Amino acid sequence: MNCRSEVLEVTVEARQVEEAMLALLHTILLHRSTGKFHYKKEGTYSIGTVGTLDIDCDFIDFTFVRVSSEELDRVIRKAVSEFKDALSNSGSDGMGQISLEFYQKKKSRWPFSDECIPWEVWSIKVNVVNLANEQERQICREKVGEKLGEKVINVVEVINRHEYLPKMPTQSEVDNVFDTSLKDVQPYLYKITFQITDSLGTSVSTTMRRLIKDTLAL
Amino acid sequence: MAHFDTEYQRLEASYSDSPPGEENLLMHVPEGAKSQWHHIENLDLFFQRVYNLHQKNGFTCMLLGEIFELVQLLFVVGFTVFLANCVDYDILFANKFVNHTDSSKVTLPDAFLPVDVCSARIRDNAFVIFVLIISGVFWLHRLVKFIYNVCCYWEIRSFYINALKMTMSELPYATWQEVQARIVEIQKEHQICIHKKELTELDIYHRILRFKNYMVAMVNKSLLPVRFRPPVLGECVFFTRGLKYNFELIFFWGPGSLFENEWSLKPEYKRGGNRLELADRLASRILWIGIANLLLCPVILVWQILYAFFSYTEVIKREPGSLGARCWSLYGRCYLRHFNELDHELMSRLSKGYKAASKYMNCFLSPLLTVVAKNVAFFAGSLLAVLIALTIYDEDVLAVEHVLSSITLLGVCITVCRSFIPDKNMVFCPEQLLRVILAHIHYMPDHWQGNAHRYETRDQFSQLFQYKAVFILEELISPVVTPIILIFSLRRKSLEIIDFFRNFTVEVVGVGDTCSFAQMDIRQHGHPAWMSEGKTEASIYQQAEDGKTELSLMHFAITNPQWQPPQETTHFISQLKERVHREATGAPSDTNPLSLSESEPRSLIANILGPSTLTSVHFGRDSSLTNHAAAGINDGASALRSLSPVSSSLHLRGSLSAAHRAAGHTSAMSKGMAGSGTDARTVSSGSSAWEGQLTSLVLSEYASTEMSIHALYMHELHKQQSRGELSRHTWHRQDSDESSDSVPDEVRSEPNPHSRHFPRSHTFPTTVASPSAIPTSASACATGSTTLGQEGASSQSSTQRRFSGSDSFGAGGKAVRSARVPMGGWAEDGQAAPRHHDPLPEESSEDEMPPHIHKVT
Repeated sequence: MNCRSEVLEVTVEARQVEEAMLALLHTILLHRSTGKFHYKKEGTYSIGTVGTLDIDCDFIDFTFVRVSSEELDRVIRKAVSEFKDALSNSGSDGMGQISLEFYQKKKSRWPFSDECIPWEVWSIKVNVVNLANEQERQICREKVGEKLGEKVINVVEVINRHEYLPKMPTQSEVDNVFDTSLKDVQPYLYKITFQITDSLGTSVSTTMRRLIKDTLAL
Repeated sequence: MAHFDTEYQRLEASYSDSPPGEENLLMHVPEGAKSQWHHIENLDLFFQRVYNLHQKNGFTCMLLGEIFELVQLLFVVGFTVFLANCVDYDILFANKFVNHTDSSKVTLPDAFLPVDVCSARIRDNAFVIFVLIISGVFWLHRLVKFIYNVCCYWEIRSFYINALKMTMSELPYATWQEVQARIVEIQKEHQICIHKKELTELDIYHRILRFKNYMVAMVNKSLLPVRFRPPVLGECVFFTRGLKYNFELIFFWGPGSLFENEWSLKPEYKRGGNRLELADRLASRILWIGIANLLLCPVILVWQILYAFFSYTEVIKREPGSLGARCWSLYGRCYLRHFNELDHELMSRLSKGYKAASKYMNCFLSPLLTVVAKNVAFFAGSLLAVLIALTIYDEDVLAVEHVLSSITLLGVCITVCRSFIPDKNMVFCPEQLLRVILAHIHYMPDHWQGNAHRYETRDQFSQLFQYKAVFILEELISPVVTPIILIFSLRRKSLEIIDFFRNFTVEVVGVGDTCSFAQMDIRQHGHPAWMSEGKTEASIYQQAEDGKTELSLMHFAITNPQWQPPQETTHFISQLKERVHREATGAPSDTNPLSLSESEPRSLIANILGPSTLTSVHFGRDSSLTNHAAAGINDGASALRSLSPVSSSLHLRGSLSAAHRAAGHTSAMSKGMAGSGTDARTVSSGSSAWEGQLTSLVLSEYASTEMSIHALYMHELHKQQSRGELSRHTWHRQDSDESSDSVPDEVRSEPNPHSRHFPRSHTFPTTVASPSAIPTSASACATGSTTLGQEGASSQSSTQRRFSGSDSFGAGGKAVRSARVPMGGWAEDGQAAPRHHDPLPEESSEDEMPPHIHKVT
């Protein structure tokens, strides 16, 4: 695939899943969001401001920074809690993967629908462990905090590299690059998906689609 | 409201609804997406389409071609059905009379059946209905494909026009290298691939040829079951398009295949952990696909016939003799293909070798057949002569029943017979012909050299170069044979396949998972017997056979001069080029790093060009080339003629370094060249001028010639080296070989370099001990140290011994690795068949098998 993919792996306790995921997703989104664009007549634009907010975790010794946008937070929280529920309902050994995919829309001609072409995918692999007693929980609380700190540094390192980013769009194209539905902040178009380990593997529909595509190919 | 007159005044409202403090804001200018070509999702497909459009000479040509194909298909099916059902042949043959009122002449429309009778006949015939339905589906499939393709290629067309700045009209006259250079150029601007700032030629090749490289490697390592020993026919190769399609379906893109998508292998296949389970799963998938093939057999058969009919009627119509003509078989194409060689490169190479190859095959006319054919032709000819004479005397003879048809039949008969009678003015030199062929096809098993006159060699060559009729016949029986092969032979190999894909897949940043052979890394896949001695660290399992890595590397470097290979590789290439150069100029090779033996001929190149005629020529320093040219002319053999481009380029190369030499040299050369049928103009234009031009892209034809020289040189060196190796080998074996303890004594017997036994090569194993036996290493074949029977019986031990022998020969301090249990865990198979697959030394711990995949940046 013509896109970068980064993998982060964390091992947490069941009650820490939500906060750990929020911390990582918010960290990435913080760096992948801008203020709202205000376009001017001459084809220029100005960028609105973005506030940041420190969030303290309840179950982890960790504080992370996120964009101070309640709307964005709500969207992410919803996705993460769905993931958490799926993880706890799966009844398997508690392996799961949540991925944050940044993509670009490409308008295409009539018979085809718009293509969504990802350019960066962050996969966070979660391994849930069960702890026996309070003391272990205490240790875990600190350790997970440290681990998350490392991951945040990791994320920042990756983001600091000079690599491909979609070009800044003109007014007509802004919807192809940025998610403009939020009032106070404008992240790159993103998609959050998750997988529980049981259901890993290609689905029937993708296989069928490939089969058809391949028979059609020259 | 009071009006205060202060200095604070309301601004003139120009930005009435913008937030306050607007003037101080930083203003940005959006770059916008100037082109739609940045960041293309599926680059594999994209590059393939760009390549296809280039090969099909632009959009209009492709469109027209496809439309005509569709119409043709309709016509062929419709016309066949019409002929079968709607014509009253009795009227045509005048068995039945029509009563006309006005004239007694039979017209064509009289022979047509009325529409209702006709349609009733069609409706009653279940077979015709079946064929019609299948061809209808076939046609619809092609139609949908056509429409889909038009949409896709329209995009590619605009890519050519807008991004590459090439119009469709100039496309047929642009080489692929030019197109490629532009793609590399625009990557900097558009970033079509987001992983890298710059694309290399190799990246593009990797993407276009990802799966083909795997196929080539699998054929090279004899992994695919394409050789069989049916009871009557003897050893034969069966590899048809249907079979190939099934292989690709199973490995690359079918449901549940090893590949997740076009660019990455599924992660579980990259880990060695549950290889047995994966192999079971693969085996059961192969079984199911085999069964599906069996069930669909009739449909595929009709489809295949339609397809063959559709593809070949036109050829047969145009050129009836072409059925007798030969073509490169599908297996041959896989065997002869370099890694990273595009279709058009392969095709042009093989087409150049075609003439020599068919000439070579024609050398082997059976004398028995010739005698029979001569006599049949005599009798048929006399009958024909009488009939023709009678016809000339009175043309009413033609009206007698069957006279015309017998004249035609006799004519055909004579033509066929004549093809079995050799031209009495032809002199054949199979060894030289084979050498000419080698110059173009670049690969051949070692044991062919020196055995060109033998029937075995011819038979094996015919596996690469088969009759077109055989080709079509194989295609037609393929629907029946394919499921059998899948179920009975491929299934057994599932474990090896799983191991192959795990061991030979590397993840390249910006390209995805590719076959590691296609990296053309001498260190990882070089073969010590092919000049990468000392540079390679590959175990036998990892070595590409027949010098494929080395030759592919040279080929790629020569066809893509802009490509910048990694450091060691550059070293290898330049070293080789320099050596070829030096040999070409006839300079003494006292600094030869190999220094195989003291008897290594100084004039290796001369040896290559004409071993029988030229070895006797005494080579002086300055006059060597002219001597050679003269000898070439004097030889007069038609075979050598076709080598003239090779030798001419040699002259050129020679003249580069010898620019300071006497001018007489050049003129003498040009005389020689003119004699040997080459363009004398090229030489007389002066030698130093060539330096720049030879390296430029414009002279891409020279690339193939240069490659031919290199291929010949490498083969020659390989031959000598394996001879040299042989002597060292036996010498070493006495004291320095730990693993030879268990070797039976008789195998140790002194090998005879000029052994009369027919030496074997890896990819051409003519004796296979057991069906699943993997042929021994190629380094073994050239030595010819064991007899046939021994090779069959004790191939394991002898392989090990030989292998370790050559190992210690290669790099003195290297440990003998052959005793280790391979990573593939062959030992646990419990098969008696000899396995020689060698593990990576660092990966041989059995309980925990780390993924072999590593990143290549």
